[in-house]
Amino acid sequence: MKIETANSKKVVKKTKKLNTLKSEIKKNKFAYKLVLPAIIAMIIIHFIPMIQGIYMSFLKLNQFTLNQFLKAPFVGLENYYTVLFDKSSTMRSGFLDALRNTIIYAVLVNLLVLVFGMISALLVNRKFKFRGLARTLLLTPWVVPSYVVGMLWGFMWQQDTGIINRILVDWLHILPNKPFWISGPNTLWAIIIPTVWRSTPFVMIMLLAGLQNIPEDYYEAAEIDGAKSVQKFRHITLPLLRPIIAVNLLHGMITHIYSFNIVAMMFGHGAGFPGKWGDLLMTNINRNSFGIWQLGTGAAATVVVMIIVLTIVAIWYKVFKDDLVVEE
Amino acid sequence: MKKSYMANLRRKKKIQDIAANILLFIIVIFTVFPIVWMFISSLMTQNDITAGKLTDITHWENYIEMWQNINFFKYFKNSLIICSITTIIALCIATFAGYSIARFRFPGAGLFGTAVLSTQMIPGIMFLLPLFMMFTKIQKSIGISIVNTYHGIIITYSAFFIPFSIWILRGFFASIPKELEEAAQIDGCSPFGAFFRIILPLSSTGIIATGIYIFLMAWDELLFAWVLATTPDVATIPVGIRLYVGNYQNRYDLLMAAGVVSTIPILIMFFSLQKKFISGITAGAVKG
Repeated sequence: MKIETANSKKVVKKTKKLNTLKSEIKKNKFAYKLVLPAIIAMIIIHFIPMIQGIYMSFLKLNQFTLNQFLKAPFVGLENYYTVLFDKSSTMRSGFLDALRNTIIYAVLVNLLVLVFGMISALLVNRKFKFRGLARTLLLTPWVVPSYVVGMLWGFMWQQDTGIINRILVDWLHILPNKPFWISGPNTLWAIIIPTVWRSTPFVMIMLLAGLQNIPEDYYEAAEIDGAKSVQKFRHITLPLLRPIIAVNLLHGMITHIYSFNIVAMMFGHGAGFPGKWGDLLMTNINRNSFGIWQLGTGAAATVVVMIIVLTIVAIWYKVFKDDLVVEE
Repeated sequence: MKKSYMANLRRKKKIQDIAANILLFIIVIFTVFPIVWMFISSLMTQNDITAGKLTDITHWENYIEMWQNINFFKYFKNSLIICSITTIIALCIATFAGYSIARFRFPGAGLFGTAVLSTQMIPGIMFLLPLFMMFTKIQKSIGISIVNTYHGIIITYSAFFIPFSIWILRGFFASIPKELEEAAQIDGCSPFGAFFRIILPLSSTGIIATGIYIFLMAWDELLFAWVLATTPDVATIPVGIRLYVGNYQNRYDLLMAAGVVSTIPILIMFFSLQKKFISGITAGAVKG
């Protein structure tokens, strides 16, 4: 008897929940109408192709089977094996080179962008005569399209005729010989520097906005207590900017791991190979997928990269969880 | 004793200020130099560039040559059309959705928010080929061509930039007090009317900032353009440059002229709306 009532209570509770859910949905008809177009767009352009893309990584998909697309022969994890473990495959060595380059590239770019962004933001947050002009000039690289950035720096890095070697060697005599920038080990620097140049302004604006939100009294109080500038920066500025730094760190990490435009345009304007020292994951995968039509292994490599990114996001979330501003 | 201490302090501050100004000056030079150099070399002849002769920067005919010989006008026009329409479509859809998740606690709102964010973690190359195959399949079975058309690339770009825009806009709408719409609805406005008459004007800064952002991203896109818009009729600027480089290898004078021209529309747009854009983009991002 008792059990029965308990059970029926449960059922009543469940139907009640279902009913409230139904009425909630009914009440929010307007809200659903507003999100519907976005949901349709995301399903068609993001989610269906993404699932197909993941499925592609289990297929033997190359120039011969391209017409069959999703009906190409199923090979299980073979593509992953080729990309990650098969010591005889050139695909693997290329992928691992690109992976190493991308990790160095993403970490260094992110750090340098934060450091330069912070320095610039602090410098233009002072009061001085040409402040407006200085801010505007510091923002200009962000306006240059990234494919132009790649083209322009590829031109400036030229070994014999490029302006950078001309300044360093011919005019200032800092280096004895003209180094090769876009071939050999220097390549990584040749792609890091333009990316930093292009990405710093955005981070600078964000940090500047954060700096302007810090009340002046905090610094005055610290000054009365005899704090030096370094101490003020460490104990007031940095902790208050932590949320902004956190968001920019994540955004930068994702953007730079998936970085493509600058590097693709710098080497042969989209047709070339950046070489062992400058190849990034996205240029590597793009070349293998659309250059020599190894689409199955390309998809497998993409999935591996995506898993790496998701891991980074998870770690980021653990570290900065408390800094995320919760609204409402 | 105290006086000299204060004087010392003031002198120290002055020296610090001068040092900061010098540092800022150096950073500004490094920042601006590549752009200036792009402009200068676009006005040189190819021979002067290779010889390193910097005295003759009057060759405006490079721009005419680029405009006429390599069809640059066509690519430029394509980019303008595609990016403008993309901005309008993506902005409309994202505004509706952003408002919806900022205001209503409907079942599934959390899931929708997560889905929006998760799209940002998918590399574009992952769905490039499936998308291309889907488009060719539609073309074969229904007969509507999508690859190498304006609408194909516009649909793709619009959908592509919606999630990020939703996230920025959500922040703006959340910062507007709810009481305003409630008052409007008491006065007899429909929910849509309240949204249209009260909320949209109040969040115009944020909407304009987001619009500029979408336009910049679309102008900058080349991975999808290289696959979905390869014929000269629809090719955007980066595709055009790639098509062109094959024929005119190493004509850096012309390439730099092309670079300058592709930067100018964004430059104008950005600096005419700079204040609105910066206050908009930082407000949305600092909060979110």
